[in-house]
Parts: sequence; C-alpha cells; structure tokens
Amino acid sequence: MSRRRAAVSILAVAMLLAACSTGTSNSPDASSSGSEVAATPESLTVLCTPQEDWCQAMVAAFQEKTGIDTSYVRLSSGEAFARLQAGADAPEFSVWWGGPADGFVAANAEGLLEPYVSPNAEVVAAEQKDADGVWTGVYVGALGFCSNTTVLDELNVDVPTSWDDLLDPALEGQVAIAHPASSGTAYTALYTQVLRLGGEDEAIAYMQELHPNILQYTSSGAAPAEMAGRGEIGVSVVFSHDCVRNIDAGFSDLEVSFPEEGTGYEIGGVALIANAPEPEAARMWIDWSLTAEAQEIGATTASFQLPTNPDAAVSERSVNLDEVNLVDYDFQAAGEARADLTARFEDEVAAKPAE
Amino acid sequence: MTAPASLALERLTKRFRTPESREVLAVDDLSLEIAGGSFVTLLGPSGCGKTTTLRMIAGFENPTSGRILLDGTDVSRRTPDKREMGMVFQSYALFPHLSVFENVAYGLRLRGRSGKDLRAAVERTLELVNLTGLGQRRPAELSGGQQQRVALARAMAIEPRVLLFDEPLSNLDAKLRVSLRAEIRRIQQQLGITSVYVTHDQAEAMALSDLVVVMSAGRVEQAGTPDEIYRRPSSRFVADFIGRANFIDTPVLAQADGAAEVDLLGQRLRVPAAPGLRVGETATVVVRPESLRVGTGEVRATVRSSTFLGPLVEYELEVGDAVLVAVDPEWMGRGIHASGAEVAWSVRPDQAYALPPGQPAVPLPVDPDAAEPAADELG
Amino acid sequence: MTAPSTAPAAARGRRRAIDPTIAIALAVGVAFVLVAIVWPVATMVATSLSADALPIFARYLTPPQGQILINTVILGLIVATVGTLIGFLFAYVQVRVPLPRWLKRFMHVTALVPIVSPPFALALAAIILFGRSGLITRDVLGIQFDLYGLPGLTLVMSLSFFPVAYITLSGLLRALDPALDEAATNLGASRWRTFRTVTLPLLLPGLASGFLLIFVETLADLGNPIALGGNYEVLTRRLYFAIIGQYDLLAGAVLGILLLVPSLIVYFVHRHYAERASVISVTGKPSGRPAELTHRPTAFVLTAATLLVSLLVLAMYGTILLGAVTKLVGVDHTLTFKNFEFVLFGYGLDAVSDTVILSAIATPLAGLLGVVIAFLVVRGRFRGRGALDFGAMLGVAVPGTVFGIGYLLAFNTPTEIGGLALFPKLTGNAGLLGGAVAIVLVFIVRSTPGGLRSGAAALQQIDPTIEEASVSLGADQATTFRRVVLPLIRPAFLTGLIYSFARSMTAISAVIFLTTPSTRIMTQQILNETNAARFGNAFAYCVILIVIVCVAIGILYALIGSSTRTERSAVSAAVGPV
Repeated sequence: MSRRRAAVSILAVAMLLAACSTGTSNSPDASSSGSEVAATPESLTVLCTPQEDWCQAMVAAFQEKTGIDTSYVRLSSGEAFARLQAGADAPEFSVWWGGPADGFVAANAEGLLEPYVSPNAEVVAAEQKDADGVWTGVYVGALGFCSNTTVLDELNVDVPTSWDDLLDPALEGQVAIAHPASSGTAYTALYTQVLRLGGEDEAIAYMQELHPNILQYTSSGAAPAEMAGRGEIGVSVVFSHDCVRNIDAGFSDLEVSFPEEGTGYEIGGVALIANAPEPEAARMWIDWSLTAEAQEIGATTASFQLPTNPDAAVSERSVNLDEVNLVDYDFQAAGEARADLTARFEDEVAAKPAE
Repeated sequence: MTAPASLALERLTKRFRTPESREVLAVDDLSLEIAGGSFVTLLGPSGCGKTTTLRMIAGFENPTSGRILLDGTDVSRRTPDKREMGMVFQSYALFPHLSVFENVAYGLRLRGRSGKDLRAAVERTLELVNLTGLGQRRPAELSGGQQQRVALARAMAIEPRVLLFDEPLSNLDAKLRVSLRAEIRRIQQQLGITSVYVTHDQAEAMALSDLVVVMSAGRVEQAGTPDEIYRRPSSRFVADFIGRANFIDTPVLAQADGAAEVDLLGQRLRVPAAPGLRVGETATVVVRPESLRVGTGEVRATVRSSTFLGPLVEYELEVGDAVLVAVDPEWMGRGIHASGAEVAWSVRPDQAYALPPGQPAVPLPVDPDAAEPAADELG
Repeated sequence: MTAPSTAPAAARGRRRAIDPTIAIALAVGVAFVLVAIVWPVATMVATSLSADALPIFARYLTPPQGQILINTVILGLIVATVGTLIGFLFAYVQVRVPLPRWLKRFMHVTALVPIVSPPFALALAAIILFGRSGLITRDVLGIQFDLYGLPGLTLVMSLSFFPVAYITLSGLLRALDPALDEAATNLGASRWRTFRTVTLPLLLPGLASGFLLIFVETLADLGNPIALGGNYEVLTRRLYFAIIGQYDLLAGAVLGILLLVPSLIVYFVHRHYAERASVISVTGKPSGRPAELTHRPTAFVLTAATLLVSLLVLAMYGTILLGAVTKLVGVDHTLTFKNFEFVLFGYGLDAVSDTVILSAIATPLAGLLGVVIAFLVVRGRFRGRGALDFGAMLGVAVPGTVFGIGYLLAFNTPTEIGGLALFPKLTGNAGLLGGAVAIVLVFIVRSTPGGLRSGAAALQQIDPTIEEASVSLGADQATTFRRVVLPLIRPAFLTGLIYSFARSMTAISAVIFLTTPSTRIMTQQILNETNAARFGNAFAYCVILIVIVCVAIGILYALIGSSTRTERSAVSAAVGPV
C-alpha cells in the first residue's frame, strides 16, 4: 500500500521535474519551434473562425494532402483578434483562416499580420482581397435575418424584411445577435448600420433602440441562429449561411430573410500571422485554401458560404448575392473603426444592464 | 546490554507563551543528576512543570536554556527520534491502525530488524509484560490495562537508554494501578533501564522510585529517597504533598545536634530539625497523623469527629484553637472515642520534624501544561 | 552518532535542529502559497492600482455600469438564500424525517450529483426543459416562461450550489445532541417551539456558513451567466468579454477587484461562523438517535418539497443524458452517437485526455499538499501558521476568475526575483509545456483547501502523542507522517483527493483564460459548444465528464480506502467546498 503511494508521488514529482527541465532548456522566446522551419514543415496551428465542423474538415483535408500535422483552435473573430494581441510577442498560431475581413484589417493595423501574396490569389476578384496581400478572401456571405416562423406566428409578427422591423415592440426579448466585441458577424451588423444610416452616432442610436428586444448578446456569431431554431427567440441576426446550416440540422421552423434597405456582407479572409512559428506551412495552407478543391469543402459540412475561387462549385443552398440588396461595405474603414466602435457599443448599448 | 545510561539536567529552563501572549515560566532553572539504572519520579501537582521537564528530556520541547546530558553527551539539540528514549504516554498513544505485534515491532523495524529475529524480539517483549498470544489483536480490542502493557512493551522493545513515563497509570482504575505499578517496577529492575517517571500520585512515586523529585512552580522542592522525603520533608509544601501532615507553628526553645526543643501545644519535646534552625525562631513542626497517639499522654484534647475507615480510625482533635488529625491503627484494642469525648494524646518525638520559619502555604500555580498545545515557542 | 559540540554558545542558540522533513514541508507549503496564490492575486491588485485604472473603477462604481455590481450582489443574495433553504430542507428531511432507506438514498444522491458535474450542465438542461420552448414549460405546462436572466440563474445556480449547504447542515444536524430536544420537550415545549428555540439557533452558524459559501460561489460563477444570463449582466460575464473579446487586462483586473472584495469580506465572516459551528459539532456528542419528526402533515410537506427538488435534479441530468444521445434534444429525438463520436473519437478527444491528465497530475499534489499544510497548521509550533492556513485557503476564498486574471498578469512573462530567473513564462501556448503548468497550478490552488480542511479536521481528532510515540521510537517526521499520520487520516486524504479531482475536472472560471491551442480543457470546450449553441456536443462532454469523475472516485477508493461507512460519510462531509 505505502509502496504504491510512494510510487505515485515519485511519478508526480518526476513529472514536475521533467516539466521544469524542459522549461529551462526551452528558451522563453519559443525558438525551438522556429528552428524546425528550414526542413519540410512538420506541424501547423490554424486559428479558425468559421464553424467548428468546417474547421475540422479543412484541417483533416489539409493534413491528408500535405502530411503536415495540423491542429486548430476555433475562436470567434473578436476573440481571435484579442488572442493574437495577447500573444503578439510569441504567436501561438501561424495562419488565421475565416472570419470577416474587417477583423484582418484591424489585426493588421496592430502589426499582427504579415503580407503574403499567394500565387493562387490571382483568380480572386480584386475587391475580395487586400492589394498588398495582407488578407485574401476565401468565402463570401451575406448578413440576414433567421426567423422562427412558429414563434413569430404566435407573436403575430411577420418575418422581418427590414432593419426597422426588428424594432417592433412585439419582439421585446425575442431577438438575438452576438456581441460585436467577440463576434465578427455582430460587428458586420453593427458597421452595416453605420453605412446604412450614415454615421456611428446613428448606428449606436439604432442599436440602443434595438436593445430592449435583444434577449442576449452571445459570444459566437452563429449561436443566435440555433437559439431561433430552438424557439427561444423569434428572430436572429446572423449570416444567412448560418441559418441555412441550422435548417439542415433539423430546425425546420427557420426561415431566411434579408433587410430591403441593404445588408452587410463578409468576405472571409485568410492571412499569415506575423512572426508565425510555422510560416512555411502557413503559406502552404493559404495557397491551398484558395484552390477550388479546398473551397468546395464548406458545402460538405453544411457551410454554404460562397467561394471566392470562380472555379469552385457553388451549392444551390448558398445565397444568390444578385437577389440581395448589399450595402457598399468598406472593409478597410470597417476594420479601422473596429476598436472604437465596439468600445462605444460596450459603453452605450450593451452596458445598460437590466435591473 | 550496555551499562545503564546516566542522565543529567543542567539548569533547564522553559518559557511558554500562551495564546493570549502571556508568558509562563514552566520550568525554572532545574538541575538534576540521575544515576544509571535508577528509577526517578518527578512528582508534583498539575502545572508544576514535571511533564514539561519529561518532554524536554524526550525532545518534544526545546529548552529555552540549559542542557540535557546523556552519559555526559549533550543531547539537547537532538531531535526526539535520535535520542534512544522510549516513552510511555498517559493516553497510551498506541497506533490504532496496527496490531499489537506491529505496534511493538514498529521501533524495531526502524532499526532494521526483520524476520525471525524481529518476531522473537517482539514475542520476548510481549512475554515480559504478560501479553503473550495477543499479538494479532488491535489496540481497540484490548482493555485499558492491556493497552498500557502494549505501550510499555513498545517502548521497551527498542532497548532504549532511558525509559520515560508520562503518568502512565492515571487512566486506569485504582486496583489496576496498584498491580501495574508493581509490574513496572519489576520489569525496570529486571532490565536495569534508567527511568524517569512523571506522576501526581505520591503513593505511586513512593512505591516505584529510587529517587523522588518533588516539583513546584517549575522548581525542585526536594529530591530524595521516598523515605527521606516522607520523614524529612524540606518544606511545608513537600510535607503536605507527600501524605498528610499536621503543621504546628511554635518557637524553638533550644537547639543542638540536629534537634530542636519545642513546646507542641503543651508537650515539651525534642524533635529532629532541619539544619539552620535557630533558637527563638518560630519553627513549623510537621507531625504525621500516624505519629499522633490517641489515648496516651499528658495533655488532653476534645474529639471533634471520628471516622471509621476499617483498618484505622481517623480523629479530628481540638486542642485550644488548633485542629489536629490523628489516625489510630490499634483501635480494636481500645475502642472508638465518640465526638465530644476528652482524650489524652501525645506525639512520638522521633517522628516529628521541625522546619525553619516562613513556610508558605501550598502554592496554586497557573497550569502551563494546559496551555502547551496552542502555545508558541519563545525565542 | 557523533556528539555535537557542547559549546555553551551553541546551546544558547536556541534554534535547535529542526526535523529536516518539517523544514522542507514548510518551505514547500510557504513557497506554494506565495508563488501560486499570493503573487498572482497581488499582481492583479497592483495592476488595478495604476492611474489608468481609476476611470475604469469610476465607470463600474457609478450608474449605469454600477448596476452590474448591484446585479451581482443581488444574484448572490438570492441564490444564497434559496440554496441554503433547499440545503436545509434536504438536510432536515434526511436526518429528522422517518422515510424508507432507498428514498433517503435517492435524495442524498441527487443532492450530491451537482458537485461532480460540469458547471453549465444544469444551465443547458434548464434551457431545454424550462426555456421559452421548453419541454416542460411549453409542451407540458403550456406556459411561456422567461428563463433568461435572474429567474433562470436563480434556478440553476441554487440547484448547483445547494449541496454545500446540505452537507454542512446535515453534518450539524446529526451532531446535535438529541438530549437537547428531549430536554426542551421535557420542559413542556411543543415540537415547533423546540425547533424554533433549540434546533434553529444551534444550526444558525451552519446556516450562515452555507449561505456565505453559496454567496461566494455565485459571485465567482462564470458558466451560468454566459449560458443564460440574458440581459442580466454580472461581473464575471463582463470580465469574460473584457478578456476574451478585447484582451483588456486592465479592465479585467478592475473587475477582478470588484469580485475579490465582496468575496473576501464574506469569506472572513464565514470563517468566523465556521469556527463557531465546529465548536458545536465537536462538543455535541450524540447520545442517541436523532429525534424524528412525527408530525405527519409537516413531514409530508417537507418530504414532498424535497422530492420535488430531487426529481428536478433528476430531470435535468436526464435531459443532459438525453441531449447527449439524440440528434437535437427538444426538436429531434432520433437516437445518435455522433455527439459522443465527436467528443471521444473526434475533435474532443484532445480536450478529454488533456483534462484528465492535468487533473490526474494535480490531484495527488493537491491532496498531499492539503494534508501536509494541515499537518503543519495543526501540529506546527511556529508563528505564522495561521497565516499559512489562511493563505492556502485563499484558493477557495478568491473567485476563480481572479486567479485566471492574476495568472495572465503574473506569469505571462518569465518570473524573476532580483534579476534571478525563477521559472519561464507559464501562460499561453509558448508558456511552460504549452501552458499546462499554469493550468495544473491553478487546479492545485483551487483544490488544496479541500484536503487541507478535511485533513485538519481529522488531525484534530488524533491524539498528538501517537505521533510523539512514533518519534520517540526512532522514526523521523517523514517516516511518522507516512507510517502513522497518513494511515490514520486516510479517509480525509481520500476526501481531499476526490475533492481535488472533481474540482479540477469541473473547473472553468480559473482556467478559461489559461487554455491554449496545445492544452485544451473540457469545460472550456463545453462553453465553446454552448456558445455555438451546439447542445448535443456540450451534453456529450458533460456526460463523459461526469462518468470520468465517478470512475476516478471508484479508482481512488480501490487504491486508497475501503469504502467503510464512516469513511464514506467522512467523504461526503468534506466533498463540499470548505
């Protein structure tokens, strides 16, 4: 008995010692991982912003194709940005894939990204990529409303077709949207108001007016769609492909609609992270993610974003941007305004705690 | 077995601080020589510092100052496990999760003994304390007396240089106490281990010891053989603590050859006296109840009460303002005097003892032992 | 054995040789408290004392943002009240109401399950059952109940935290001398009057202690407010968005202070009461069977209420299981194992194995540290042992989120003292072992108090002369500790281990900011899945986590302790946060 206990404690101590010794041999600037670069890349850590299962499918496909041991962490756009900031001196990730381009712009402003013009980026339309190669578009999606028709029927409210429809007092506590500090979806929605109404003050005023109808600001952009699907709320503001995805998952009461005043859209980007620990593998990922083959993976995981590679097949479930009125979204301006605007949102809108 | 170890305490002092930050002087400049193989008892009321002294010898307390010498080697700085002293605790302190055998084997195993050799040593020790055959029992399955035998066996098994006893019999009933103390004495003499024994029971001290050390307020009041202590107490405190005594204050009329002439409530006697007693001083004469004879003598007293105790009768006698206690073991021949009766009385002169003046009544010190567990070390 | 120098000077230098084991144990204990507990908290406090922090303080202490603090405290008070009442109800019915054994057992188990389950399991189940389209609220009762916000948080947190009060109070009720009740009745008091004038006053310290513990837990809880806080903003959720969404460590530190201060105040008050409570439970030697409640209507009402809560807990865990094995619980109840596949064979496996490994490393260390510190505190004779005890107990008194922030602030760069590098950067992916060391440290910090309290309680019951006997027989302190102390406090040690493992596996607030790409934690994955509203995966994680904890408890029993009755009760008595 006592011998066994001794063995366990010895083991634990040994683990600690091992921990300490690896720690001391590893200089804190994580140069060990940098030294692997010269040879064929062995590993890659992806910062992934779209839905979890799409991330998984992409990583699996890439790993199979290249043999590079690839792992990922899924973080919402804002969370990803915060995480990059936090680890700026010793980045944990090499490539950031997915999430609205304004997030990339904001990150670049902080020096967190490194330009890389992929040879495969040629096929991507000019407005869907950064001229300097800071980010390159990998998919496109439009913001819309995702409504639960059963709930709306009970409330006697029609499926919303304009931003103003969301202000209906009958929808009190029946709307959900993510928090723009953490979610790129929500930030796109917020900045859409700026463009639509002509200024930040007006956008904040609109969100304040909407506030009583919001049940909860979630941290993930797509979560409100599932809340609507579950019947917890009547309307969610999400990217339309996230709604379609939930309809596919079994929430048959859901219906997609778009605001007629014009809606925002995202260009999901991919970018090389500054001082990436695995830059070679990261570039390989970027090149690959722009291929038609890689861009067709989304649809297999019910992610119906539009591909940016014109050669990639487009799912019939994807939104047809020609039928939707889009605002003239300026990713550069949106990205630059991000820090201030989310802070204002935090202070002037979400900050009003219910009593 | 090597020759029994001698033990010397040199100017031991121990101060405690109570949780209320009060300072208590538990042991005050105590020195003592203990010859190898002897049985020494530290005797005193609770709080006199006897247990603290024992625990300093064992190493459980650090002396504030002073030294402890074992065969001339200073062991004050040794941790208790390095002192080779077996200890028997008041609460027995048996390991409840181990069998009797394993309890006794504990110290031997630590000394690298194992197998047949260990088994034999344990069996031998158990036999010594009359516990043969109980080796597989758990302590909880034994009576109190048996448990204390196990504790004794456990302490002896390691063949310690000194055996320490901390009131080992105080949790037992009276009859068991008497038989066990005889056994302890027998075993100690058989093995010849130097032993230090703490008790507040003077009968136990008398029965067991070669040397009795009476302590009070952290100091030694008197150290001597049981007989010396009883017959020639050095102070009123000792006389009162060891057995019972009448104290009669009276002037010294004459003094010579270690004897003093005094007037004991009308009886003029020459009694043995403490050295230094001078004519004209008021001596305190100690008279044991059994040294008072009832029914013979020149002077008379009134019986205030009489109590029949079987082998003897106890009287309270009024002589003027004084009340004296006397016992009469020979009542069968004389009969019992009733309360209110007038009786003659006398003192056997050789059995009284005159102490110098200024004997304080028995002090009631604070109890540092009780404060110990939560007390902080000083310095 | 060489004779030490007997020079008088040496004798006068009173620092006599201290047992080396004690010295090492003391050094380890003190270093642990200073490095892993005090330093990060102090760093957070120091950060929040900068001039830049002043406007943030001002913001959160004045309207409208001041409301967040008020909300947090109100939530704490409500949950503490409701939780204590439920705990008392369970304890009273368990001890005083005559009921069939199996029924009591059932109630007892349902009262303990929330302890070993992940933090937001109940929140998710509550949404499914009582949400706007909840299976019970809408489909059975036909009502639309607005769960989000205060009502839902109260429901879920009360159910999550009442076990603390239950364990404290049932122990106290059992320890109450039935003769007291008999004496009161004998003097002519009615049952109700006896309860009011004898039982209740004696339980007051326990009630207060349970109330305060639940209050602290509620304040510190992060998972439930995120899952169903609605627009009822509380400090922890704000803190989460500040760090995760904006990586604003300064705001995090300020919010951490706002959480820390009320928690510490309440903890001090709790300690005061807990000491009184322990006096009562120690002196009250039960001299017979507890007086039973014989008034049938009262017994019926109390039993019914308890049973209702038990069934509620059962329903919630049933929902979790259901959610884990169906496609879309509440919508499509087709049986599927894809959720489990995801967790066990897919992406989730890393998190499962990381969490188990890190918890398994932390558990013996925390258990051992707990009993060693308990030993030093109870048996030690040095100044400052009270401070050591208090320092180690900060692991529960300080909200987990505060440790998270504190670690980010203190250990994100290599730690140096006077230019001397102590250890490298601990947090983040580039931290020591991919941040795993920081996480294990936090696990240990958060769970050491369990072993410490149960160990201290056990040691106080053991006559110190037993250890002295061992020492006088020639065993040094290390041998004595191993061969005598540890076997004697085995049940308490086991309790400490179980507590540590369960607490590490279910920890979220403290580690959420410390997880890295290479070190993932199950609770964080549950939170991610919840945030993405993928309840199936979240539930599968929950079920697996509960199963792992239960299996681990079984293994610990098999390794360390036979499951005797006394030990079991000792375990359940101490599993609750201290």
